[in-house]
Amino acid sequence: MSQQPVPERLQISPFLVLYLIMSMQIGIGVLGYQRIIAEAAGYDAWISVLGAGLSIHIIIWMIYKICGTVDGDIVAANAYVFGKKIGNLVSSFFIIYLLIFALAVLRTFIEVIQVWMFPELSIFWFSLVFLILAVYIVFGGFRTVTGIAFFCIVLPSYLLLTFSFALKYADFRNLLPIFDHSAKDLITSAYKMSLTYIGFEIPLFFYPFIKDAPKSQKWAHLGVFLTTIIYTILAIVTFTYFSEDQLAKSIWATLEMWKIVSMPFVERFEYIGIANWNLIILPNICIALWGSSMILKRAFKLRQKKGVIILALFCLIAINFFDTRAKINFLNDWTGKIGFGVTYLYIPFLFIATMIVKKVKNK
Amino acid sequence: MIAKKFILFIVVSLLMAGCVEKEIIDDVNIEMGLGYDLKEDDKIEGTVMIPVFNPDKRIGNFTFSATATSARDLLQEIQRKSAQPVVTGSLEIALFGEEMAKKGVIELIDSFERDASIGARVYLAVGEGNAKDILSGTYGNRGNAIHLSDLIKQNTDKRNLPKTNLHLFLFDHYQKGKDPYMPILKKLEAEIIDIVGVALFKGDKMVHTIPADKMFFFKLLTDKFSQGSFKIKVREEEEQAAIRDLDSKNKFKLTKRDPYSITVEIKIEGIIREYTGQMLTPAMIKKIEKELENTVNEECSTLIADFQGHGVDPIGFGHFIKSKTRGFDFKKWEDDYKNLTVHVKTDAKITEVGIVE
Repeated sequence: MSQQPVPERLQISPFLVLYLIMSMQIGIGVLGYQRIIAEAAGYDAWISVLGAGLSIHIIIWMIYKICGTVDGDIVAANAYVFGKKIGNLVSSFFIIYLLIFALAVLRTFIEVIQVWMFPELSIFWFSLVFLILAVYIVFGGFRTVTGIAFFCIVLPSYLLLTFSFALKYADFRNLLPIFDHSAKDLITSAYKMSLTYIGFEIPLFFYPFIKDAPKSQKWAHLGVFLTTIIYTILAIVTFTYFSEDQLAKSIWATLEMWKIVSMPFVERFEYIGIANWNLIILPNICIALWGSSMILKRAFKLRQKKGVIILALFCLIAINFFDTRAKINFLNDWTGKIGFGVTYLYIPFLFIATMIVKKVKNK
Repeated sequence: MIAKKFILFIVVSLLMAGCVEKEIIDDVNIEMGLGYDLKEDDKIEGTVMIPVFNPDKRIGNFTFSATATSARDLLQEIQRKSAQPVVTGSLEIALFGEEMAKKGVIELIDSFERDASIGARVYLAVGEGNAKDILSGTYGNRGNAIHLSDLIKQNTDKRNLPKTNLHLFLFDHYQKGKDPYMPILKKLEAEIIDIVGVALFKGDKMVHTIPADKMFFFKLLTDKFSQGSFKIKVREEEEQAAIRDLDSKNKFKLTKRDPYSITVEIKIEGIIREYTGQMLTPAMIKKIEKELENTVNEECSTLIADFQGHGVDPIGFGHFIKSKTRGFDFKKWEDDYKNLTVHVKTDAKITEVGIVE
């Protein structure tokens, strides 16, 4: 099933893919990934961060090969490989994936607000307002979503500088000796980066909306590369700031490093930082809602505006069920696992299948 | 359409405003200082210090205490005795009475660690005698808590106290092969507080102390970059010189294994602030440098031997050797530490002598 070309006035410039990918990748995982990866590989885990980041480039390459071959998005690719009926069924799985992703992001962020700032914040009301905003942005179309992604990377980027306060307390001896853990530990740690890294697969959903799409591949690679660098540096800063047993107790190591920040005009920086994190979360929700409603439209001919509202309502109801730390952890764990399955198992499979089908069709 | 959006905006802002409970600064008790003392029957007495902002801009202090069997009960007791909710966001300093410090402090510190509103720059200190006595005096004119935290800050920035705060204490406590330490405060007179030394902890229990006149050497060993001041006597000449250390660095080198041997290289750059003799000739400066090097070597070695005798490792030799060894065994290190030899090599340089010779 080939796709109708998207009119040019709805398309985005290729370089904006960089912001879309970065804004989708950076979300809630980055707030506390250090502890999770250090569980297996200890303070060698920054190597895993770097390694996992580099391996993503292969997946990005596959995504562009798949989309380029079928000249369309994930729905087109699934239909190309499986035929229309089964293809649409497989595509509908991605609706669930994106919804779980949005749910995990929003709920974890609310948990952060509850633990760090306002314990009595209502899950329902906050989600309602946040989702109304997200739906409103998605109503503006893909270009608006891209604009939000752009600003939500650029505006909070100053937060990176605030981690330099922690560097004053850095003990780089913590990192030594390098390679004190086995390759197996390093790979386990890399696997545990899933939740933090996922989000780079989104070109699958908006490929037809990129003007001159093949040209955007280098921007996708650059985006992933920048995220990798940020994560690696942040991991190193964290590892030098905390001693190993201390980190093992810190659920949100990234936020805890703000506790040492001292500025003449603000006693505690966490409040500013977490409030700013709203901006980082926003594109996560918007892109996920946009992507899932787009699949609904393409596979089931449901108008996108209707689809967004239905999906947002689903999120609003489902989020109330995750009311304890254990359940939120469970949600995040599974989001990471499903994300890993989608990116490292399904995409390579789809890639191979597409190549085979292409060979067969050409004969 | 615009009107509709505007109404939605108003409704949403109103809804959001009611989402969380507000805290007005005049309606809460801001806890800025905390003290813990051990009483009979293993009961803990907690003292909370709250600033009182008087209309004439003077800041007064208000303290009250509660006694309970565990740290958790203590918080509740304190909350019950307070007319307004006690908030912890601006905690500046926490003091532990000597007996409390000897019994263990990590259970009490846990509540600081767990509370998201408490910063990592909170100072921890041991109060010689009783923590409550120190908190209930009146020092300076900016409130007790600010005075005490400024006192520690001034002494770490420019004087001989090694860097210390809640984060560093926890960092050392959880670091394998390193033990934490805290400054010791003492009430000298009704209005004066002095730093009389450093308390060394093994695990979370205070086991040993360093007197104030040895803190300069201790700081040279613990802080990678440090400043401080020190007075030395030139032996043959009967003259004295006060030296201000502007910039010093230390560097550890592992020279031998089985048994381990470490060389600590200390570089000091300082100026002479006071001198009792007539003329400071270049030859005399050389002598002072030599004397300084010898003194630092001797004193640091004595300190380290003392630590080994008490089985504490505040300098972190264990952690240092771990960073040089694959698959380091901390169990074995406990014995190895006693047999560790440390050589201290100092290189002192006097750069200026003031505006007169």
